[in-house]
Amino acid sequence: MRQLLIRRLLQTVPLLLFVSIVCFAMIKLAPGDPVLSFVTPNMHPEDIERIRHNLGLDKPAYVQYFLWIKEAVTGNLGYSLVNHQPVMDQILDRLPATAGLMGSAIGLAVLLAIPLGLAAGAYRGRWIDKLVNLVAYVGISVPLFWLAILMIYFFSIHLHWLPSMGMRTIGVNSAFDVLKHGIMPCAVLAFSFLAVYVRYIRSSTIGQLREDYVQIQYAYGSTKRIVLFRHVMKHVLLPIITLLGMSMGELVAGAIVTETVFSWPGIGSLGMTAVRGMDYPVIMGITLFSSVLLILGNLAADLLYGIADPRIKSKR
Amino acid sequence: MLNRNKKRFSGIIVLALLTMLASACSGNNNANNASPSASGTASATASASGSQPAASGEAKDGGSLILAVAADPVILNPNYAGDRVSLTIDQALYAPLFQVNNGKRTYYLADSLDLSEDKLTYTMKLKSGLTWHDGQPLTADDVVFTIDKILDESQNSFLRGNFIIGGKPVQAVKVDDTTVQLKLPQVAPGFEATLVQVFPIPKHIYENEANIEKSPKNQAPVGSGAFKFKEYKTGEYLTLERFDGYFGGKPHLDSITYRIAKDTNAANLALQNGEINVKYLDPQDVSTIQASGNFEILPYSEGRLAYMLFNHNSASGLLAKKEVREAIGYALNREELIQVAYASADYADPAHSFLTPDVLYQTNDVPTYDNDVAKAKELLQTAGVKNAKLRFIVSSGNKVQEAISLYVQQKLKEVGITVELNSMDASAFGAKFTDPKATDFDLVVGGYIMGFDPDAYSMLFTSDGSANYSHYSNPEVDALFKQGSGEGDAAKREEIYKNAQKLVAEDAAIYPIAYTKTIVAVDKRYGGIEEAVLKPVVIFEDPSKLYVK
Repeated sequence: MRQLLIRRLLQTVPLLLFVSIVCFAMIKLAPGDPVLSFVTPNMHPEDIERIRHNLGLDKPAYVQYFLWIKEAVTGNLGYSLVNHQPVMDQILDRLPATAGLMGSAIGLAVLLAIPLGLAAGAYRGRWIDKLVNLVAYVGISVPLFWLAILMIYFFSIHLHWLPSMGMRTIGVNSAFDVLKHGIMPCAVLAFSFLAVYVRYIRSSTIGQLREDYVQIQYAYGSTKRIVLFRHVMKHVLLPIITLLGMSMGELVAGAIVTETVFSWPGIGSLGMTAVRGMDYPVIMGITLFSSVLLILGNLAADLLYGIADPRIKSKR
Repeated sequence: MLNRNKKRFSGIIVLALLTMLASACSGNNNANNASPSASGTASATASASGSQPAASGEAKDGGSLILAVAADPVILNPNYAGDRVSLTIDQALYAPLFQVNNGKRTYYLADSLDLSEDKLTYTMKLKSGLTWHDGQPLTADDVVFTIDKILDESQNSFLRGNFIIGGKPVQAVKVDDTTVQLKLPQVAPGFEATLVQVFPIPKHIYENEANIEKSPKNQAPVGSGAFKFKEYKTGEYLTLERFDGYFGGKPHLDSITYRIAKDTNAANLALQNGEINVKYLDPQDVSTIQASGNFEILPYSEGRLAYMLFNHNSASGLLAKKEVREAIGYALNREELIQVAYASADYADPAHSFLTPDVLYQTNDVPTYDNDVAKAKELLQTAGVKNAKLRFIVSSGNKVQEAISLYVQQKLKEVGITVELNSMDASAFGAKFTDPKATDFDLVVGGYIMGFDPDAYSMLFTSDGSANYSHYSNPEVDALFKQGSGEGDAAKREEIYKNAQKLVAEDAAIYPIAYTKTIVAVDKRYGGIEEAVLKPVVIFEDPSKLYVK
């Protein structure tokens, strides 16, 4: 177990290096020049070069990369080219908003997806299955921004139940207020996650129900509910663990569209602004940060697999 | 690079050009933050003309106002603010020395400004008893400090270039606590347009900061404006509260909050829901907001020209020919074009001159080539142009640019010119547009806000101008701009710039489309809008005058 952990952690190093190189290369290959936004018309070419030099952008790309990675290794992700604030601080500043939103959306989606998926799989072709399929198809196909706008229109403008934007009422600092603001973005995101999760659970349930152990349970006289929740669910949980592991990256990268529409002050909207401004230290910071989380998430999922299904552990 | 919320510079801004390109020439560079920015720049813009509502009701004290902004402010220090959001907030947080509207000065921190006989020395008197938000006195020392820091190369202020005239710096000298002298190296009538962009920063706060731009003190700014800094929640909102010691009298509102709303559609809903009280509108959203009956819709001139740029350097070589440029003008119908691009003539006035109506000596009475297809064909024949093909670059997703380019494509087809549209992503578009060597496009839609002094426009139309992206070159025009920048006599200056406008128009250097307007929706519960003066880029010149009815 410990060996596995160490081996996997060591494997992440080249992976992260690779991710950072690809990300850096993509930014550098994209058209545009961050220096241009500092340029004023009456500047002389030497002034422009001075700015380029001050920002370290006059060096060859690979040198810039090495300078960046040297600092990144020590945990210093550099400074934004736009507002000169440390990148790490900006990410950490936005992290609670994003992690809170994504965490509750994923949690809600899983809580709903498990019973719905099990029921749909167990009662294949019946009304519950049709309903779940409908929800899944709608959830996958509906554009999130449209759903978000629709919800704002209905719940804020018409019913006046919920605030339409932001994370807080101006000047109010209470958990309840944040919760109220979070309901709609959380619901929108949960809906999109649910659509994916429920399909997995449904098909996994259908597969499991064909297994011999299920027939044996029935032969022993177990009720359908016991078979589903006590036996089938255990197996069905495995793919969910993988899905959750893969969601770890999103947990910090945020949901760009949802955060933008609801003006939710998370990492997604920070990243959006950074991309538009070619603020590459911020883009790199967010990419690296979410990659680390994604890799750790997958690692955790693998370890949990072992716990959920001891057979897997013994095979390694 | 278009949509960056970065710093840009002093009033007169080439990047404004770009921004506009990106943000659509609609005259409403609002929430697109896609451009977040996008945002224009240019604090030097002057007059707010256009419709303004009559003041009604008694001014009451108390209450708060929520204004939608499209992005986080980049930096709350007026020596560095170049993006629309920072400029808007700084307008309430810091006080300017004076502002200019329709050629008339309104004094803020300054009490008077006099120019010496030889036109080389400005003497500025400050009001007495001025204080900063922390209670410290605001004196001539602060003004001199601010200008010195702008001039200090190591401090990277965007305003620096404007304080260097003919290669030499302007000198700021303290005479006494309320008097500052500004000594110019040479006669420069355009300098007043530079001074309106100066919002002094406090010496006692910043004097020991090695790098003011990166100073943590910008996070809790101390200004001299009508409202002082209260709270900033990144990505959410920034609140300013009333400054009772404001020299212009106690502001009516208790607070102003700038709410960061990145999505225009969602922000429009928040506006209708009363969560936002003031917001920029796109022309196509006006009817929806108006229908609610709760808002004043205020279109006002933004001091901006939207135009079609001809790349005189393009590989096709066609646009270097004056006849072809004229023919293109004749092939188009400006009124139709405005209708197509801006939904209504209410939001854009037809443009003939390259100067916007708020600029000194502007005249729209210049030659224009418009709406005469027969003439267009004749000119093309004279020029020997047959089966011409032009490339039109468009920033993808920019509705105004797309509409204009499609219209132009269709109209030019009628005179036998094929237009190939090349839609590209905003950054690629910006890079192409500003690349002085780019020869692989012929047409592009641009826009600029350049402030109220015509001298600023030299960078666009002189042969070696830093923002002369059309590569237009006419030695006569060059000479006129040079003459105008150093001419102290107003009547002579007027003649010079009127001539320049005529020449540029005759040459069909660009195809001016419209002087676009900004549209702002203000909740009807608020009054004092006329006194607060609607102003390009920053919305309200003096927010202390706003009140709840």
